Formats: sequence, structure tokens, C-alpha cells
Amino acid sequence: MERNDIVIGMAGSGGDGVVSAGEILVSAGASEGVHAFMLKSFGPQIRGGESSCRVRLSGKQIQSHGDQVQVLGIFSWNDFKQFRGEMHLNDPVVIVMDSADKTSKDDIPIDEDIDRIIYEVPIAQLAKDKAGTLQAKNMVMLGVLSELFGLPDEGLRDAIRKKFKKKDQEVIDSNLKAMEAGATYVRDEIDKTDEVKFSFTPAEPKVLMEGNEAFAYGALYAGCRFSAGYPITPSSEIMEWMGRELPKYDGTMLQSEDELAAIGMVIGAAFAGKKAMTATSGAGISLMSEQIGLASMAELPLVIMNVQRTGPSTGIPTKTEQADLQQALYGTHGDANRVVIAPADVEDCFDVAVQAFYISEKYQIPVIVLSDQYLGQRKETFDQDALFQSDNGFMKTIKREVPTGEDLEDYKRFKFTESGVSPMAYPGIEKGMYQAAGLEHGEHGLPTSDVDMHAKMTEKRFRKNKVIAEELNFVRFYGPEDAEVGVIGWGSSKGAIKEAIQRLNDDGYPVSAAVPQILMPFPQEKLEKYLEPLNTVYVAEMSYSGQFYKYLKGFLRFGDRELKKYARSGAAPFDVSEIYNTVKQEFE
Amino acid sequence: MTETNVADKPKTQFKVKDYKSDTKPIWCPGCGDFGVLASLYQALAKLNLPSHEVAIISGIGCSSRLPGYVATYGFNAVHGRILPIATGVKMASPEITVIGTGGDGDGFSIGMGHVPHAARRNVDMTYIVMDNEIYGLTKGQLSPTAHVGDVTKTSAYGSIERPVEPVDLMINVGASFVARANAGDPKQMADLIVQAIQHKGFAFIDALSPCRTFRGIEQKKFINANTFKVEDHDHDPSDKRKALDIADSQEGISTGLLYVEERPPYDELYKDLRDRATQKPVPEIQDILQRYIP
Ligand SMILES: Cc1ncc(C[n+]2csc(CCOP(=O)(O)OP(=O)(O)O)c2C)c(N)n1
Ligand code: SF4
Ligand SMILES: [Mg+2]
Repeated sequence: MERNDIVIGMAGSGGDGVVSAGEILVSAGASEGVHAFMLKSFGPQIRGGESSCRVRLSGKQIQSHGDQVQVLGIFSWNDFKQFRGEMHLNDPVVIVMDSADKTSKDDIPIDEDIDRIIYEVPIAQLAKDKAGTLQAKNMVMLGVLSELFGLPDEGLRDAIRKKFKKKDQEVIDSNLKAMEAGATYVRDEIDKTDEVKFSFTPAEPKVLMEGNEAFAYGALYAGCRFSAGYPITPSSEIMEWMGRELPKYDGTMLQSEDELAAIGMVIGAAFAGKKAMTATSGAGISLMSEQIGLASMAELPLVIMNVQRTGPSTGIPTKTEQADLQQALYGTHGDANRVVIAPADVEDCFDVAVQAFYISEKYQIPVIVLSDQYLGQRKETFDQDALFQSDNGFMKTIKREVPTGEDLEDYKRFKFTESGVSPMAYPGIEKGMYQAAGLEHGEHGLPTSDVDMHAKMTEKRFRKNKVIAEELNFVRFYGPEDAEVGVIGWGSSKGAIKEAIQRLNDDGYPVSAAVPQILMPFPQEKLEKYLEPLNTVYVAEMSYSGQFYKYLKGFLRFGDRELKKYARSGAAPFDVSEIYNTVKQEFE
Repeated sequence: MTETNVADKPKTQFKVKDYKSDTKPIWCPGCGDFGVLASLYQALAKLNLPSHEVAIISGIGCSSRLPGYVATYGFNAVHGRILPIATGVKMASPEITVIGTGGDGDGFSIGMGHVPHAARRNVDMTYIVMDNEIYGLTKGQLSPTAHVGDVTKTSAYGSIERPVEPVDLMINVGASFVARANAGDPKQMADLIVQAIQHKGFAFIDALSPCRTFRGIEQKKFINANTFKVEDHDHDPSDKRKALDIADSQEGISTGLLYVEERPPYDELYKDLRDRATQKPVPEIQDILQRYIP
């Protein structure tokens, strides 16, 4: 059967080059204009442990890592075991394995109900014989997969050349030879009995990026010129990117001594007039919470990216979850106003970065961006012209409003205004001197413990939300407007939800979905309206305790509608079929 | 020769009153922090720094109230984070004069994790710790600079902890300017603040600033009776060993400039780094996208 959508899984030990094979594969896809998506996953070792990747290639727009793995490339079954829980296999599954692995057919660690077609290939042997090095095993595997399943082989050769372009021609040649050896072996020795065949129409090359890169790039584009951070998986790529790029554009990236210092430095830079950000995850965001409150109180614009990982505590640093929602919304003492936005795909990470800086600068408020490992570290393609446009048409950058002329005669840093926003001076602006503080203050910024002033200032800080909500209230909707069954999710779950809805609709089930991009201020009106036709609402999230479910209940009146929680702990992102099957039950 | 042109026009000469804000200090009568504040006004006037080009960052504590009393930019932030915030301000705006002011608890207890890093990076700022060996604002608990045996509200049986020695610490972690001064000697304090601000790099002043309320008049008397000036001892502040020796002198508490070293500050090093980053042509930001199209 020809298909234009294929999901390939690979597993091996670090030295097998599984991840770099995956990278070459998505890069090949992107260069041929194919939609590509790649998830990687590692065991706990720093180097050389088990690793796996999942690559999806498709002729049509894709939203997620796809469902069950149809093709499995195995260097070692022992390494595969680590990923059994997260790699759901299609039935039947086609397996290409190195014949050097002597696991007997009966002991193969996959569910015995799953039918399998196995091709054994002497991968290590071929790498050694044809390329002279075991390091080329992954190239042999690529050659085999490409020949067996019709992958973009010209693209693959290009991608290999690019990958090794800094090395000697010899290295490139030996890798190409290894790939060719794999393909030749298939032609000469294998009798193809499975039916998986990928077909695609070459098109204009696509952009291939990771979420963390897209966010960092978006921040730079938005005018961010200061960033500080402390390394933590899975967010470090953002500070690494910033460290390489910001100095080229007259900016600064500092590696701080801890997250307390990271956000402190960012607060200092924001106070000094710069667009500033930090990125962190897990323990790091917990350490930052006190100073998020400071930024709220001092009405300082800054952007805090939390690439969520599996928690609590150290949790699983390399895996995803959506369980930092409550912390983003409410973490830190006091009524500390902030904005929370969640990007939904890699390209959206760029858009959200731009919007986060827009909101923070315009409204002088800390903006927390909630991404996650699934979004931050996956590779995904999108069209070349997509990046500088956004799904909600919002791609504005802005300069902070500073006091001028009259404002400066008797400068009130925290002047009461209709919008709650008061022009903000920074060191260097004559007559703009004021004291920023975590202490409650009056309009001039002087400390106060006055009851009425506290009431008024709190109200002022929250007044901004109304204006923000008018300007930004983007919610993604999928499916027919009059559907009676709906799904609400957020952030990185968008992909699986959107695809599940499409599939349900194709199969004749009238289901819709809503995925808000901005979570605080809450897009009340849009979601209320969305609820109207629904009888049943599923709330889907990777949080065991149902943090999003509880949050929605605080804002929306569900009335007689049946409210169903599809809340599970994270570590593995949603599969499309998981949402599909859950919602389909409604119709059985 | 009549060469009066615009450049020679006499600059405004700022006076002490130009640096005073309208807010009256809330400190107790007799608090040493008044002395530090008065000296800071003097120093700013002496250096003739325009108020809008100065930012004073503080934490939380009696001493951290100081920025509110100075008519420059100020930031009374949270407990223990003076140094990161000051680093952020300085690195974002190197042209601004950055001063950090806080307490011994703020700097050497909750904020201790930042001290060696600001020092070794040589952030170009002045950090004045008003060291009263007590937690003033929270009304008299044990401080990390208190001495063994000190009875405070949280050390009812006398402290059993060896104190932090701020000056030794700072010299050892790489501060490029380390001084100690008696808040009761405004001239010495003002002179040292002037030198600290002029110093290119991380300048630390351990300000012996008695807490009248929780340490009584005895603390002030003790400081006055036991301090001596290093100038009177022919001290060479460029000699690290001698600096450490005199910091721990048996003759009493040494005050004055104890240690100084010339070393490029963080912002200048960062400028060099930017020069290196821009040696190859830098693409337009929009064109970075091309890197991601295989
Ligand atoms: C995170 C945090 N913990 C505790 C406090 C309470 N607190 C405020 S000031 C202070 C200590 C003040 O001592 P010091 O820094 O020496 O300043 P001083 O008042 O003596 O000038 C403490 C513990 C706080 N503000 N924040
Ligand atoms: S409590 Fe002590 S440190 Fe605080 S203001 Fe009073 S005298 Fe000064
Ligand atoms: Mg103190």
C-alpha cells in the first residue's frame, strides 16, 4: 500500500548514532519539501546510553509525532526495552534489525499480539566491510530503510554531505558508501513481503527547527537583547542559542550562578530598559518564583520561558509533562499578576516569543511562557513563509512607553491610568528617577503600608488584564461549530488533539476542539461561546491531578454538560489514537 | 586667547542636597546607617554624578531602605538579590554607575551564593554592606557576622557559630577593591566610597554600622575604640598577602583601603567578546531562518 505518511522508530545505544540517523532523515525530508517531525528520547546516561528516535514523514501537514510506529529499526533489542513504554507499535509492524543481535525471535521484547515482519540485515558487518568503520552503522540502516520503504534517497545523500561538510571528503564518501551498501543489500538479498511504501511529491524545501530554537529566535526577532540563565534540561538549548547569537546583535547572555541570580539579572536588565528574558525548567522555575512576584509588584516587563519537564522535584528531566500550569498561573505569594501563554507547535514558539515580548513591554508585566520538552526538543518542519506570520495574525514588536515632557515634571512611575499602564523610566532618563520596589508603594514609588493605597495599586496591576484580554485572546478551534462533543486542551497537546479531531470528523463523528494559546488572562468570551452547543466536554492534559481541568472549572459554567477529565501523568506525549479512542467512546 | 566654547561651559556642580530625596529615613536615632547615607551623599556630590545616571540597588533590611533616601534611580528589591540585579543593570547599561547597598544578613547569609560570582566576574559596581552584626529589620536575630557567644533573640545561649569575615572573604573570592570603614567616620567613609565608585571593577566596602536598638551603644563604642586606619601603618593595598594580614590584625579592626587590584571589569570583557562574535559578517535577523532550511 502506498502511503504518504510514515512513522519510523529507531533504537540503539549511544554509539549506534540513532539520533543522528533520525536527524539526517528529517533533514532529508525537509529538503525534499516533505513534512517531517522527529522526537528523540534518551536513557539516563550522559553519553553512550540507550537512545531512540521517532521520525514521521508525511506528504500532508502533520501535527504530532504520529501514532503507532510502522517501521522499527533496531540495533539492539536490549536498548529498545528502555523505550517500550513510549514507542507504541502498529499492528503489523515492520522490523529491520541488525543480525548481529542474537536475541531469539521468541524473546523479542514487543507485545506478542502484534504481527511482525522482520528483515535481518548484517548492519554492523556491512558498515565494517564497506565503510571501514562501525560508526557508519546508522548510515547502513538509513540505506536499508530508504530502499525498503521509498524514502527520499537523494535528500538523504544531500543531508549526509551537509552533516559531514566540516570533515574530510573521505568521511563523507565512507558514509555515502555505507548507505549505498544498505540499499544494495536490500536489492540483492531481501524479498520485500510487507506493504509499507512511502510516496511523496517533491516540493519547496521546508524549514526544520526545534521549539527551543524557534523560541530563542523569536525572542531575538522581538528585540530581546538580554538573557540570563542557568543550565537545566530541557531548556538549555535556549541559553546556548542566546549565548551564540545575542553578542552578534549587541546583546548579552549571562550564565548565572543559579536561577535566583538568573531572574535577578533579568530583572535588573528590565529595570535598566532592556527587553530581557530567561528560560528554565523544573527546579529552576521553582527557584524563580519569589522574584516573579517582585517583577509583578515592580511592574517590570520580562519574559520567563518554562520548558516543562516531568515532575515533581527532579522528576524525569528528559521527558515532557504539563503539570507546571498551576505554578505558572499562581506560583509566588500574594496576588501577583502575570500573563501565561502556551505555544502549541514549533513554529508557534516563535510567534509566542514575539507576542510575549509585546505583552510584557506594552503592559509592564512578567509573561510566563509554558512550553514543554515535547515541544522544545522536537524537530518539526513548516513552510518557509510561515515563520514571520502567525496563526492569529499577531506579529507586532513594540518599544516600551517611556515618560516624556509633562510626565517628567512630577514623575509618577506608578501613575493611575485607565489601562493600568504607567509610562516607565529607566536609568539614564533625566528626571525619571524613581524607586522600584517589592514593597507596596504609592504612585511615586515610595513605600506605603496604607490600606487604601494597597487596594488601589492591586486593582491597578490587575486592571491591565482587561486590556490585555481585549488585545490577545487567541484560541485555536477545530471541527464543526455545531458539534455536541468537544475537547479542550492546551499547549503542546494541540497536535494530537487537532489530528484526532480531523480523524474523528473524517470518520463521521461530529466532534470539535478548542486550544487556547493565552491562558491568563483567560479567554473567557471565546471559550464560553465555544461551550454553547456542547453536551459533553473532555479536558485533555498531561497532568495527573487535572490542573487545567480545575482551572477551567473556575471560569466556565458547565451547567448540565457532562465534564470529563482526560488527565494523565506525562513522560510520554499524547498519541493521536489516545484522544481519538477516548472521545469515540461517546458514540458507542 | 579667548577659547570659551560650548564644551568649556561650566558644568552643573551638584550639591549634597541634590541627592537627597523627600523621604525621611525610618531608621532609629543613633543608627549607623545615617552615617553611611550622609557619606554617600558627599561622595556623589564630590564625583558630581548626574542623579539620573546612578542606580542604587538594595535588598531587604533596615540598611536596604537606603535607596529610598537618595534622589537617584533606586531599586529596593528582595532579600539577598542585590548582586544579581545590580549585575543585570550594569551589563544592560554599562554607562550607569551602579551601587549596591544592604545588610550583613542580606549579603552574607541569604545572598551569599552571589557574592563570589559578582566578585570574580569583577562587575563594575560598588557594594556597601552596612554590617551591624545583627538582623535589624526583623528585630534582633543572629547574623552570620555575629561573634561566638553573642546573645541575640535567636541565640539565647550565645552564638556557637564562627562568623563570616567579610573582608577576608571578599579578598579571597576575587573582589578587586576591598575596604572597611567606620560609619562613625564620615570623612573616611565618603573618601572610600569615592574611590570605590571610581574603581573599575567590583568594589566592596564593609561599613561598620552599629545598630543602636539591638546592639546598644556598646557596639558603637567598641568600634570607635578598636578601629585603626591602615594609612597610618604604611599599608600597601596592592599586596594581597599584606591585605589579608592587616584584615586580621591583632591590633584591632583595620579600616581604609585594604586591597586593590587592576583587572578588566565584566562589561569590558563582554565588549571584547562581542567583538569576537562579530568578526565574521553577521546576517540580518530575518536571514537566520536560512540556516534552518536544509
Ligand atoms: C526570603 C526572605 N526571608 C526572610 C525575610 C525577612 N527578613 C527581612 S530583613 C531580614 C534580615 C535583615 O538583616 P540584615 O540584612 O543584616 O539587614 P539590617 O536590617 O540589619 O540592616 C530578614 C531575615 C525576607 N524579607 N525575605
Ligand atoms: S534596628 Fe538597628 S539597624 Fe535597624 S534602624 Fe534601628 S538601629 Fe538601625
Ligand atoms: Mg544587619
